[in-house]
Amino acid sequence: MKAMKILRYATMLVFVLASIRIITGASDLTSSGTASAALLLSVPIVLAALGGLFSERAGVVNIGLEGMMIMGAWAGGYIGSQHGPWAGLFAAMIFGSIGALVHAIATVTFGVDHVVSGVAINIIAAGLVRYLSTLLYQGGSWPGPSQSPGIESISLNGLPVLSGGHYFGWKSPDLLGSIANLNWFFVSDMASILRGLTGDVSYVTVVAICFVPLAYFILWRTAFGLRLRSAGEAPVAAESLGVNVYAMKYAGVLISGGFAGLGGGFLAIVAASNYQENQVAGRGYIGLAALLFGNYRPGGLLAGAGLFGFADALQLRDSAAIHALLLFIVAILAFVAFRKFKAGKQMSAILSIAAAGFTLWFYFAVDELPGQLVTMTPYIATILVMALASQRLRMPAADGIPYRRGGLR
Amino acid sequence: MSVAVELRHITKRFPGVIANKDVSIKVETGTVHALVGENGAGKSTVMKILYGMQRPDSGEILVNGKEVHFKNPNDAIEAGIGMVHQHFMLADNFTVLENIILGSEPKHGATIDFVGARAKVVEMAAQYGLDINPDVLVEELGVGQRQRVEILKVLFRGANILIFDEPTAVLVPQEVDDLFQALEGLRAQGMAVIFISHKLDEVLRVADEVTVVRQGATVAEVKSKDVTARQLAELMVGSELPKPSTLGHTRRDEITLALKDVSIPTATGSRDLLSNITFNLHAGEVVGIAGVEGNGQAELVEAIMGLRDYTGSIEFHGTSIDELSVADRHDLGIGLIPEDRQRQALMMTSPLWENRILGHQRGKPVMRGFVIDKKATIDSTRTIMQEFDVRAPGPDTLAAALSGGNQQKFIVGREMSKAPALLVASHPTRGVDVGAQGAIWDVLRKAREKGMAIVLISADLEELIGMSDRLLVMLRGAITAELDPAKTTPEQLGSAMTGAA
Repeated sequence: MKAMKILRYATMLVFVLASIRIITGASDLTSSGTASAALLLSVPIVLAALGGLFSERAGVVNIGLEGMMIMGAWAGGYIGSQHGPWAGLFAAMIFGSIGALVHAIATVTFGVDHVVSGVAINIIAAGLVRYLSTLLYQGGSWPGPSQSPGIESISLNGLPVLSGGHYFGWKSPDLLGSIANLNWFFVSDMASILRGLTGDVSYVTVVAICFVPLAYFILWRTAFGLRLRSAGEAPVAAESLGVNVYAMKYAGVLISGGFAGLGGGFLAIVAASNYQENQVAGRGYIGLAALLFGNYRPGGLLAGAGLFGFADALQLRDSAAIHALLLFIVAILAFVAFRKFKAGKQMSAILSIAAAGFTLWFYFAVDELPGQLVTMTPYIATILVMALASQRLRMPAADGIPYRRGGLR
Repeated sequence: MSVAVELRHITKRFPGVIANKDVSIKVETGTVHALVGENGAGKSTVMKILYGMQRPDSGEILVNGKEVHFKNPNDAIEAGIGMVHQHFMLADNFTVLENIILGSEPKHGATIDFVGARAKVVEMAAQYGLDINPDVLVEELGVGQRQRVEILKVLFRGANILIFDEPTAVLVPQEVDDLFQALEGLRAQGMAVIFISHKLDEVLRVADEVTVVRQGATVAEVKSKDVTARQLAELMVGSELPKPSTLGHTRRDEITLALKDVSIPTATGSRDLLSNITFNLHAGEVVGIAGVEGNGQAELVEAIMGLRDYTGSIEFHGTSIDELSVADRHDLGIGLIPEDRQRQALMMTSPLWENRILGHQRGKPVMRGFVIDKKATIDSTRTIMQEFDVRAPGPDTLAAALSGGNQQKFIVGREMSKAPALLVASHPTRGVDVGAQGAIWDVLRKAREKGMAIVLISADLEELIGMSDRLLVMLRGAITAELDPAKTTPEQLGSAMTGAA
């Protein structure tokens, strides 16, 4: 039932995008190139958000995701350029976890305020990798103090029959690709998006996306997950039932660091071909926003990360498409107004309609958006959606509250 | 019948206090054994020792005839001991089932065997008469149902010795009946039940045997059918027992407080938090507000004190106070004893003399011009402490260092020090020991005789019936009944509170 609902919404979304493509001629809205780029840009956000999920579900606020990603990216560049990409990714996870270990010791063992510790980790991580990079540059092994040598790339593949790819020397046909080229309204749009999501995908991306259902399975289907979540919901109750709350929190934060580090490593090894300073560029924070957007659930955070990735891909590829995206916002606002009106909230319905009208006027008044605004699109989209969704966010009840063993006494 | 648990000569010292001097208890299987005593007599400490949360300094614990040494609750759980905590230990955002299995999850390969666990819980629930839906979130449950989840949690772990720590403190009478039926079921299944309480009528109803502790030592072990509540009470206190009661009518003609159609709408516009509350309160009169918690009592207090916007009108001594601020109302002579003393009445980490200032920050003796008159404040704090028997080293003592009873006596004294014409007393004796309870009742009685009007809100039905001249029952924000306390029993009042009558 729930899967059907999601499928229905996704279909509706593609339909609206396809209509806008026809109206505006902005073909990049549903091109397979955009979908493919969106996926690539989403993966680090997904990994950061998964990291946040494990940590926050265990009751530890993890602002330090950003710093852990930075450490992961650097380690990916350092180890990856010497021992190959897979070793680099592994090292990224380890380095992220080292950052997480610091966070866990500070917050869980010593009861430091979670935000203070997280911010400290972000600052220390940035300084530390700069220092290490400079040392390597002076030693002559790195081309510059802000970038690593190149890393060998990990190969890409696609789904057999459907979206190309090669298996044991056999080159598969590209069914979705051919349908996409037929240029049928909606059908081709759907096919080209699917082609973009499934064709020429890095193995690392596949693994990263598989982590989402895996996280759900671990957190909601295993005893370990139940205990970890109990540490974030009611640690005193958990302790009274013999759950080792400290161990659960440590586990949550360390897993969190592993995911964040992997996200950083992905940026250096898969999304680029070497480590560069400022490569992470706030993706740890965006990951947290995606997690919030997804109401602390794996499926939701995937949607949040996808939204950001899509907006980011679009602004990178085609600024005219961003202009067309304004119509998409009009459609969403109209939908929100309709829902509000049905729920009997006239005031918010009228406000939504007014906002839709303004956006529509803006669309016709301006032919091309200023470049600065285009670059901001993914961030604006994140803020807009979070503000509009007005969902009942439910954070873990004991999230961010320092816990002392012996709360029972 | 065999002995399930035996405690022999348990002693436990904390820095500065001896919690248990010499406590011995013997509980047989298939019985309900009550442990009674005043607050601070050492009941909770001895149960925490039995549950492995604390270790005794000396003494022995025997479970099924074998001596045991518990390092933590896990050891106790393994030995078949379970504790139903007074403050529920539940995760609100988990389902009933998740709460029950947490910590001892039945596995099915790598995953939790939810199907098997649900079947087991449903079966247990039926066996002991603890009806519950395992798939709803705990946050949707009422207090009585939450307690059932706590009991099922303990039973799920295979406990056959169950400790109930003041289980009825949070329940209304009808829920108490349900609980006692469940206890009957447990006894019939051969469990040993330890029931901690200081409500003696309940103890006599449910227990087979009673152990009385006073000042950290066992003073008596009796069969419940051989004693009366009065005898038990005297064993508990070691002397005569205070009773909530007022003598004669001290009501005067003048009206101190008049509420007319006072309502508080909710933000969402659904049901009103308070709807059309209208009553007059005369000088020298006590009006008791009865009701299950969360039916508008807190909002009523906030309206009278001006802490919340309302519609309708409130008059004090015949003039409207609707436009007055909270501080103005205090200055006019309205005193408040809030329901949660630690959060609403005290700064826990500040000394008593600073706490003395709260609510009195605009006049003598606290202020001299624009500065705080520290010396006068300290002197007046000392006076309050003497007059109201607040047992603490001095005005510099931190509020957190006082026992609940002494904190409450201090708050009552602080409010009485300005001789208010109206006192709004919200749960004035909740969670305080019998001695402090008697002292607070005395203060209220004397003030009533001198013409003070009192709005009394309480969950203690005996207190309401004993102290009030008139009882108003609140249900879902409205006054649904007015009762004469002289002709009302706690059971009748309880039914009126739940809307059953």
